[in-house]
Amino acid sequence: MIEGIFVEGLIYSIMALGVFFTFRILDFPDLTVDGSFPMGAVIMAMSIKSGISLPLGLLLSLTGGILAGFVTAAIHNYLKVPHLLAGILTMTMLYSINIRILGGRANLPLLRVETVMTKVSDMTQRFIPEEVAYLLFFLAVVLIIKLLMDIFFHTDMGLVFGALGNNQQMVVTQGINPATMKLIGVGLSNGLVALSGAFAAQYQGFADINLGQGIVISGLASVMLGEFLLKSEKISILTTRVILGAILYKAIMYLGRYYGYYINLTPNDLKLLSGILIIVSLMITNYKSMRR
Amino acid sequence: MKKYLSIISIASIFLLSTPCMANDAPLIGISKITAHPALDALEQGVQDGLKLSFPNAKFDLQNANGEISTASSIAQKFKAEKVAIAVGIATPTAQALVNTIKDSPVIYCAVTDPVEAGLIASTTTGEKNITGISDMTPVKEQIEFLARIKEIKTLGHIYSSSEANAVSLAAIARQVCKDKGIKFVEATVTNSSEVKQAAQTIAGRVDGIYLSNDNTVFSALGAVTSVAKKHKIPIMSADPSSAQTHEILVAWGFDYYKMGVATGKLVARVLKGEKPENIPTIFMTDPTDVDLLINLDQAKFLGLTFPDDIIKKANTIIKDGQVIHN
Repeated sequence: MIEGIFVEGLIYSIMALGVFFTFRILDFPDLTVDGSFPMGAVIMAMSIKSGISLPLGLLLSLTGGILAGFVTAAIHNYLKVPHLLAGILTMTMLYSINIRILGGRANLPLLRVETVMTKVSDMTQRFIPEEVAYLLFFLAVVLIIKLLMDIFFHTDMGLVFGALGNNQQMVVTQGINPATMKLIGVGLSNGLVALSGAFAAQYQGFADINLGQGIVISGLASVMLGEFLLKSEKISILTTRVILGAILYKAIMYLGRYYGYYINLTPNDLKLLSGILIIVSLMITNYKSMRR
Repeated sequence: MKKYLSIISIASIFLLSTPCMANDAPLIGISKITAHPALDALEQGVQDGLKLSFPNAKFDLQNANGEISTASSIAQKFKAEKVAIAVGIATPTAQALVNTIKDSPVIYCAVTDPVEAGLIASTTTGEKNITGISDMTPVKEQIEFLARIKEIKTLGHIYSSSEANAVSLAAIARQVCKDKGIKFVEATVTNSSEVKQAAQTIAGRVDGIYLSNDNTVFSALGAVTSVAKKHKIPIMSADPSSAQTHEILVAWGFDYYKMGVATGKLVARVLKGEKPENIPTIFMTDPTDVDLLINLDQAKFLGLTFPDDIIKKANTIIKDGQVIHN
């Protein structure tokens, strides 16, 4: 079970890293996520179904997500639409697009086909149990993504992103067009989200049109829980704490489900729990910085 | 110090989450996708059906609150608890269970097309640890039934594009209409607030409306009936229980509670040692499983009459605003 929490937490931490990028670094609250997460899932499912190789399927999912992010940023930039609304617009359009991608279906099973999951367990089944293999695999995947992000934020472009979220005017005076930066940033963020969706579909054994429900909120909760855990301004710590936050979020939700009945918590209350979690971690983080 | 404190708190959370379950009564995990009158009735039915032979059975009732991503967390929980049998209500929850739980039996119910959902390879046989009950409704018979009462040249159908069950039923209805030379006009919705508009777009063009098992459409059933009333169109529905309170000409389908009881009995069979692979998918075709409701008030309003044999066959008749059970 603990492996389960970690594996799920790691898969969703890729999405949380994407949310962290837009929400914390770019200061661009992005609701596209609720559409780009299932988009990654349906692209991956269709790729597997049509016999496209697994790495190419993952690449297609990533690209789909980046394009979705471009759309949101473009609506925001060129039509002067507030970011929240731009995200909602894209998310709404993605619903129809996702059904199209899935060939007019709402759900596609991945139960009797070769997925990344079956591949990992086939390759390792002689040495280690399946769950441990999944855990190690996703640990490696997430670490690679985290390291790439850390390196990226040390490049010139990455530093501009940090500045953009802090003070847009400063970026403008440096002769950089913030619109282009937002296009790239929101695109990359949604690429990560879609990649996370592609892994989630394979982990669950199916892709479903409604997979995006509640994704933004779990991403935000992960980011905030992470902030409550570790205090730092260093980018490598910032990304680490997002990953830890995602795992902790899964663990808490899991515990709510597991032991909640002791305090009369039913599964219907878990949405309330995730909201309260965010509020509490915000409160604690605020209190900590006030004392400083 | 504070840093360590938070790390210790996380560590203790993980330590706490080690399961401690040891019981002589079987623990049954039931995972449903969302709280909904039909699915709740089904869940209750499963418990009542199983308790007929296992009065001490314990249940872990889980609900994904419509969040598909939670379905696999629930499956993980059942796996950790080592439930004797896991029951999945509706397609995504059943898929997550089948994907996660490999060494104890998984029983699905309220899945319309388990082969299309990838749960099993064929409905004529079970699989290593998987079997279940399909809620496939007799679409062909339902449409033929409506065509007997009123001449149908064009049939309207409203369904939710996000529900796997509804999409597969719509495909069957489309095929049935094609075979029968009936023009099929469909409208899809993504949530219940769109149902009224969908009904309005097709109402002027159809001789009748057919509603299959669709959670989204049924949660906005009043919107469909009000539009149909305005255009004097009969409605054939697959859900008799909601037809008791709405203006629907005919409803022919099964009671979800009865399907739950049937599922509970299936769980009991497996608990008693029967192998899931020897149990083919169960379809609710027994006449006692299926309820037929006819509304004579609606027939009068629409200027239609029911043949006597149908009136005799109906389990529930609505006449002069009264619900009469036959």
